[in-house]
Amino acid sequence: MNETLARPTSAASLIGQRIPKMDAPEKASGRTRYIHDIDLPGQLHAAILRSTRVHARIVRIDTAAARALPGVHCVLTAADVPDQRPIGVAKDHLPLKRDRVRSERDEIAAVAADSEAVALAALKLIEVEYEDLPVVADAEAALAPGAALVHPPIAGAAAGAPVGLAGKTDNIAMRFDYGHGDVARGEAESDVVIEDVFELHYVTHCCMGVSGVIAEFDAKGNLLLYSNTQVPFLHKREFAEILGMDPGRIRIIQPPIGGGFGSKLDIYPFEVICVFLARATGRPVKLVFSREEEFLASPTRQPVRLTLRSGCKGDGTLTFRSVHTLHDNGAYTSWGATTPFVMMQTFSSLYRVPHCDYHTVAVYSNNPYAGSFRGYGNLQATFAVEAHMDKMAEAIGMEPLAFRLKNAQAAGEVTGQGMVFRSCGFQDCLRSAAERSDFSRKRREYAARRDEPGAVKRGIGIASMLHVGGGAKIYPSDGCGTILKLDDFGHVTLITGASEIGQGSETVLSQLVCEELGLPMSAVTVVNNDTDITPWDVGVHASRTTFIAGNSAIGAARKAKAKILAAAATRFDCAPDALELNGGRIVRAATGEPLTELARFLRGLHFSDRAELVMTSFYYEPPSVHQDKAFKGDVSAAYAWAAQVVEVEVDTDTGVVRMIRVTAAHDVGRVLNRLGIEGQIEGGIVMGQGYALTENLVVEGGRIRNPNFRDYKLITAPEVPEMDIAFIESMDGEGPQGAKGVGEAPAICIAAATASAIYNATGVRITSLPFTPERVYRALHGALPPLRATPRMSTEAAQ
Amino acid sequence: MSLTHEIGFTLNGVQRRATVGIETSALEMLREGVGLTGTKYGCGEGECGACTILVDGLSVNSCLLFALDCDGREITTVEGLAGDARAQALQKAFVAHGAVQCGFCTPGMMVQATHLLATQPHPDAAAAQRAIEGNLCRCTGYQKIVEAIVEAGQALAAGDAT
Amino acid sequence: MSGSDAFERYLAPTSLAQALAALAESGGAAVLAGGTDLMPQSRAGRVRSARMLLNIRRVPGLEAVEVDGDALRLGALATIATLLIHPLVRRHASLLSEAANHFASDQIRNAATLGGNICNASPAGDMLGPLLALDAEVELASLAGDGSVRFRRLPLDGFFSGPGRTLRESGELLTAVRLRPASHGQIVRFYKTGTRPALDISTISIAFAARRDGGGRLSDVRLALGAVAPTPLRARRTEALLEGSRLDAGLVAQAAQSAASEAKPIDDVRATAWYRKELVHNMTRRMLDDVAHA
Repeated sequence: MNETLARPTSAASLIGQRIPKMDAPEKASGRTRYIHDIDLPGQLHAAILRSTRVHARIVRIDTAAARALPGVHCVLTAADVPDQRPIGVAKDHLPLKRDRVRSERDEIAAVAADSEAVALAALKLIEVEYEDLPVVADAEAALAPGAALVHPPIAGAAAGAPVGLAGKTDNIAMRFDYGHGDVARGEAESDVVIEDVFELHYVTHCCMGVSGVIAEFDAKGNLLLYSNTQVPFLHKREFAEILGMDPGRIRIIQPPIGGGFGSKLDIYPFEVICVFLARATGRPVKLVFSREEEFLASPTRQPVRLTLRSGCKGDGTLTFRSVHTLHDNGAYTSWGATTPFVMMQTFSSLYRVPHCDYHTVAVYSNNPYAGSFRGYGNLQATFAVEAHMDKMAEAIGMEPLAFRLKNAQAAGEVTGQGMVFRSCGFQDCLRSAAERSDFSRKRREYAARRDEPGAVKRGIGIASMLHVGGGAKIYPSDGCGTILKLDDFGHVTLITGASEIGQGSETVLSQLVCEELGLPMSAVTVVNNDTDITPWDVGVHASRTTFIAGNSAIGAARKAKAKILAAAATRFDCAPDALELNGGRIVRAATGEPLTELARFLRGLHFSDRAELVMTSFYYEPPSVHQDKAFKGDVSAAYAWAAQVVEVEVDTDTGVVRMIRVTAAHDVGRVLNRLGIEGQIEGGIVMGQGYALTENLVVEGGRIRNPNFRDYKLITAPEVPEMDIAFIESMDGEGPQGAKGVGEAPAICIAAATASAIYNATGVRITSLPFTPERVYRALHGALPPLRATPRMSTEAAQ
Repeated sequence: MSLTHEIGFTLNGVQRRATVGIETSALEMLREGVGLTGTKYGCGEGECGACTILVDGLSVNSCLLFALDCDGREITTVEGLAGDARAQALQKAFVAHGAVQCGFCTPGMMVQATHLLATQPHPDAAAAQRAIEGNLCRCTGYQKIVEAIVEAGQALAAGDAT
Repeated sequence: MSGSDAFERYLAPTSLAQALAALAESGGAAVLAGGTDLMPQSRAGRVRSARMLLNIRRVPGLEAVEVDGDALRLGALATIATLLIHPLVRRHASLLSEAANHFASDQIRNAATLGGNICNASPAGDMLGPLLALDAEVELASLAGDGSVRFRRLPLDGFFSGPGRTLRESGELLTAVRLRPASHGQIVRFYKTGTRPALDISTISIAFAARRDGGGRLSDVRLALGAVAPTPLRARRTEALLEGSRLDAGLVAQAAQSAASEAKPIDDVRATAWYRKELVHNMTRRMLDDVAHA
C-alpha cells in the first residue's frame, strides 16, 4: 500500500514469525476431504474414452453396446453435443473431438454410470474406427513444406469462426516478436559474441492429488461445479460461454487441492465433458483421473528449443541478446503458448541489456499440449541466459560473480522493456549466496581439480532469476477483493477471492489481518472457496497472491480498524490516532494502557443505539499497467530476484549428478510467515532439482512413453540437497508489510546453476535437459547428438 | 463381475467384516467399501506411498494389497492413529515445523513415520529420509517433514509427548 | 478401479499340500505372496491366463530363516525387509542384506517376498544377481501321485529361462532358497546404478562374491549382472579370467572389458544399451579396484 509501512507496535508482532498453517492439523489427521473424497447423493461416475491413435480421422464411433450395459446412464460423443464450443486461449479445442483426433489424449467419448467400474467397462465396449493420418511428431516437422495440417480448414465453417470450428491453413499457433534498442548495433559494439542452441524438455506437474471434478445442475438449472481450478472467477466466465449460460447461474466450490503449480489455470475438456454428462443425465457426475490418465492428459511445461546469441564488451558490459525460440504447441493451445510473455521479460531484463530482440514461433503438432507450470517459461529462459553469462565471463577472463554483479540492476532502474525496479535486492542476493557458499574460492578450486585423477568431481555454479513479484497485469484486472466481518466475540471472518492451493495463502492473509487488528491467529476463519460468497480475484498465478490478496486483506482490515477506532475515540473522548488495537484490546497508543476488550466493544456497537456491525470490504488493484502492443510496460507492481548457488558431485564413471548443497538468497521484500516462506523455497528448489536432474516426460511419435512414477522420476527424500536459505528484505513500498511474491522464484534458476556447476566440475557445458546420468555421461564422452539451430521465420509480427 | 468373498479383520482396533471382489485392492476397500477417505490414491502402483497403511504393524502400500489378504489381519489407517503416542507427537511436529502444504501426501507420511518411530525411536535425518523414500511429496521438498520426524522422535524420547 | 476380472476363484490354503493340490487342479493359478508384482500385473491385464488367485501367505513354515545343516535356508515367504535385518542373513549372506537395502521402499520391502522376486524373474530383479553370486539353490515342492509332498532342488543358475520365466512347473511352488553361508575371507560387493538409494528399477546391477587367500589370489569368483540381459546373468568368461588370479590394474581393466562384452542389454525408456555396457565396464572396474585395495 502506498502509505507508511505499519511498524510493529509491540513485541507481539506476527510479521516474520513462524506461523503454522491453519489447515495443517486437519490435513495431518487425514480428515481433509479433497475432491476425490467428496461424494454427492445420487452421483454418477464418469470416464472418458481417449484416442488410441496420435493423428487420425474418426471414421465411426459405435456406442450401442456401451449404452446397453447395465448401470450406464449416458454415453456422449461429439455428435450428441452439436453446439459445443471450443475452449482455450486460441479457441481451437473442442472438448469432445469431432471428425478427427490430433493427439493421444484426445477425448472421443464419455460415459456416466452407477460406478467407476461400470463406467470403465462401458469404455471398453465403445468401438472406434480410425483412419490414420501422418503424425506430425515435432514442431520442426510441422513447419516443413507439405507437412500435414493439424487443424486443416473445415468446410462449411461460418466466417470468423474460431480455429476449433473452422481450422486454419497452416500449423502456426502463435508468434511473438519483441525488441528494444538495436541488436545490430549491440553486436557491432561487442568484443565477445557467442551463440548456442538450448533444448528444454517436457516435464509435468505430478500433483499428488490427481485431477477431478464434480458437476451438478440443481432443480432450477443452475450449475454447481466442485473444481480444483486456480482461477474460479475466470472459470465461471469460461463455463458460461461454453454452455451458453448466464454466468450468474454458475457456482464454483473449490475443495482443498492436492497440488496446483499452475496445472489448474486453464479450462480442460474433462471438466466440460463432466458438465455435459451432468446436463444430460440430470444427476451429479463425478470424474476422477487415474494416475496414468493424469500423465497422459495433463498439460505439460512448455518444451522449448531456442537459439540465444549474446554479446558483451571486454570490460564485462552486456551489449545484446537475440533470441529465437521454437515452441511445440501440441495439438491444442493452452497457456504454454503464452510463456513468451514471461520469457521475453527474462531475456530483456535479467541483468542490464541495452539491446534485445526476441522471437517465438509456436507450432501445432500431434504432441501433448503445454500449459502453465510454476515459473511459466522462466526456467527455460534463465537456463539460456545464465549459461551465456558464464560463457561470456570466461571468454573475457572475468570472475563469474563479478561479471554478474557488474550487470545486475539496482533499485530505481528501468529496463528496456519498461519494467520499473523499485525495491531491488538483486545485487544483495548475488553477494549473499556467493559469500555463504564460498562460491568464488570453490569455483577456482574445483576447476583446478578437473584433471586430477579420480572419477568423482565437485563443481559449484551460480545463477540468478528475475520474476514478477507484485502481480502481473495481463487480464483486464489484476485485483482481488476482500470482505471482513467481525462478530460480537471478536472473531473475524476473512472472505477473500484468493484461493488456497497448499501454498499457505490463507495463513498469511490471516496473519496480515491479525497484525492490523491486534488479534491472535486463532481469531480468524477464512472463507475462500465459493464463488457465491467470495469477492472477485483473478486467480492464483504469477506469484501474486501474497502481494495482491495481502494488500486487499490489509485494506479491508484498515477500514475495519478505522471504523472501530473512530467509534472508540468518541467513547473514550480522544482522537482516533491516540488509540491502537493490540492483544485483542483497544489500548492507548502512547502508553499501551488497555481501555476495553475489543469483543466487548464490538458487542457495544452492535447492541447500542448505533446498531452497527463491523463489516468492511476492499478491492485492491495494483498500480501496474498493461503492456502495450510492443509488449512494453511496467506489468507488475514489484519484481523479485533470487540467486542460487548449487554445489554438485559428478561421478564421471556413471554420469550421476548428486546435488550436495543449494545456497539461496531470495529478495522477498519482507518475510511474513517465516515457516510458510521457507516451505515454498524448499519445495521450489526440489521442483527445480527434478527439472534439472531427473524428470523427463518422454514423448516419441506423439506418445508418452513413461506415464507413471516408475519411469517418470520425481525427487525423493534421500536425494534432496542441504539447503541454506537467506532472505533479502528489500521492503517493497507497495507490498503488504513490504512483501513481494515468491511462489515461483525458487524453482526458476536451479537448472541454470546446476549446468554451471557441472561445467565447473567437468569442463563440459550441456545445453539440453535433464541432466540424467546417461545424458551427462554422453556429454562427457562427446556422445550427445548436436542440437539443430532453431528455424528462423521472417519477422513480420503476427496479429 | 468378479466373485466376492467375505473377510473379517480388525480395522483401527475394531473388528469388522467386509465383502470384497477378488481383485479389489485394500485401498479400494478402505475408501469405497468402508468409507475411510484418509488413505489416498496417488498412483495405484506402489510408487508414491500416498496409500500407506499399517498391516500387522508393518507399513505397506494398500494399493498393492489384495483386500482378500486382509482377512484375519490388523489394519491401521491414518484415522486409526489418533490414540497412538508416536502419531500424536508426529502430528504436533508436522504442524509446528510446516511439514504440511497441500497435505495430500501427509496421511501416507504420517503412517510411514509412525511405523519408523515404532521400529527406530530416535532416527536421525538420514534415517528419516530413507524411511520416507517411498513417499513422494511435490510441495515441501521433504525438509520440514524430515525435521518433524526427527523432532517427534526426540520429543518422545524426552517424554514430552502425551 | 477394478481390473480385468481375470480371476474367477480365490483360495487361501493353510497347508502346503492344500496349496499344491489347488495349483495342480486349477488349470492356471496366479500365486499371491506379497502382491507387489502381482497386483500391478493383474491391473494391467497381464495375468489373463490365470483363473485362480492362490494366496499362499497363510501356508505355515514358508517364511522361516534358519540354518539347516551346512546351508542357510530362506523361506520363500521371507520378506525383503526380513532379509535386510535378520541377523542370520546379515552374518551369513550379507550380500543379500546389502541388495535388500537398495530394494524399492520400506513399504514394498515389508510385503515383497524372496520367492516372489525369484518367480517374477525380472531381468532387473534386485535380489537375483546376489543370489546367483551366492550359488543359491531353489527348493520346489509338488504333489506326488500318492498325494504326498515331494521336493526337488535346482541351482538358481539356469533357473531363469527368459524375462519373467523360470523352470518352475505349473504344479510347483517355490518353497525355499538355500545358500552356502559366507565363508571366512569371502569378499562380497553389490552395486546398483541410479540417482536414488533404492526406489529405482536398476539400470544395471552387479553382484560380486569371491574368496581370497593369503597371497591375494581369488577363487570361487562369481560375478552376476542384472538388467543387461533377458535374465540375470553370470558373467562366466569374466569369472574365469579372475579365477585363481591376483587383482592388479591390468587384470581389473581386462575384467571390466570382459564383463561389458558379456552384457547383452537392450534400449528401453530407462537407458540405452550403449550406456548400460559403459556402466557395466566402469562399475566392474571400480568394484574390482575397490576389492583390490581393500
